[in-house]
Amino acid sequence: MCSACGFPSLPGHWTDAGARSPGSRLRLRFTRLTMINRLLAPYRLRAHDDGSTPGLQLMAPDGERVLVPDLEALWVQAERLAGTPIDPLSPRFLGDA
Amino acid sequence: MRKGARSDGRLRLTIIAGFLGAGKSTWLRHQLHENTFGSVHVFVNEAAEMPVDNLLLGKADRISVLAGGCACCEGRATLVEALRNTCQEQDGADAQPIDRILLETSGLADPGAITKALSEDPILARRLVLDETIVLVDALHGLAQLNEERLGRRQVEAADRLIITKPGSVAASQLARMASTLRQLNPMALVESAERGTSFALQTVPDAEPYPLADIADDAMPIKPCRLDISGEYGWAAFSVWLSALLAARGEQIMRVKGVVTTADGRLLLQSVRKQVQPPEMLPEMDADSSVQGPRDNIIIFIGRGIDDALLTSAWARFTQDNPGQMRR
Repeated sequence: MCSACGFPSLPGHWTDAGARSPGSRLRLRFTRLTMINRLLAPYRLRAHDDGSTPGLQLMAPDGERVLVPDLEALWVQAERLAGTPIDPLSPRFLGDA
Repeated sequence: MRKGARSDGRLRLTIIAGFLGAGKSTWLRHQLHENTFGSVHVFVNEAAEMPVDNLLLGKADRISVLAGGCACCEGRATLVEALRNTCQEQDGADAQPIDRILLETSGLADPGAITKALSEDPILARRLVLDETIVLVDALHGLAQLNEERLGRRQVEAADRLIITKPGSVAASQLARMASTLRQLNPMALVESAERGTSFALQTVPDAEPYPLADIADDAMPIKPCRLDISGEYGWAAFSVWLSALLAARGEQIMRVKGVVTTADGRLLLQSVRKQVQPPEMLPEMDADSSVQGPRDNIIIFIGRGIDDALLTSAWARFTQDNPGQMRR
């Protein structure tokens, strides 16, 4: 790797793939945010993305805020704050609970 | 730029794995003789202190031996260091360019763990791209290994291509059942056969029953493939969120995910081994009269325990049911 220009660059997180132009990247970020909050809502957590700062802010009901670089880190932190994994297959999401 | 080199400056890596005695070195020796992989740097990893395999592979342009520790566990640091050195050598002005790196793992290695280690290294994640994981399975002993060793199954599950070695040692019907067993364990991998490295045509036996595999310790639930159709109005943005949460929560249960997803900017090839998702590659647009048969776009295959089509479909439907009209692709 060149320490001046950083080539070849680190591939971004896999969830960032599929958006090549700046416009589609921004659209992806905001669309994603809404979907993230759907998964977080039952755990009383919320994510925020202002569109310019890299990464996401994760907020707990007690006011704790964590900055996370990507979705992988987000779910790890969300699990810590919620005390249980954010599992899309759990009865909580399937409406059986 | 050198012919065949990637425009993003990354070196291709092919992992060759398989249980102890599956015939990895024999197969690789033949491929080197035939020059299947072009100009390569071969890394041979052996769990034992005393390397032998490198003697079999005299034909390689460059060969390095990583002895005394399996590359997926105690030998991991050595492997990372050696690969970093190779990448650095390739950057030199007087470097002899290579087409790819071949890593022959020890028979005790889990290719999934190696992939994970490489993607977590800040230098190698920038310099290498995993091209293919080839796993060799012994026609004669493979069944016992799959029945008794959890590692044997992990290797098969991690493969992109499965090669049944020593096909001559069993009857054609047994070979067909072995191929069928492997397809059941890993329906996405290509199943081939080779005798001492030479390609061996597998007979098509339509009703070849897969061998029943015993449950290993806590593997109480069988591994099975499931399909999820995500071709609704909700696109890649929603699916990537849902899948990343699913893998974070149940990555140990879901061995593989693979499929082609259409996004606003093109088609993406998505694949994961346990919690590790490879950087998705952009695929060329489908040619209407293309003869290449691939999976249908937006049908995602999951292989794992404790999941089925109905569960995935209903969970996805729940996730995407509210506020229709928003979040369109």
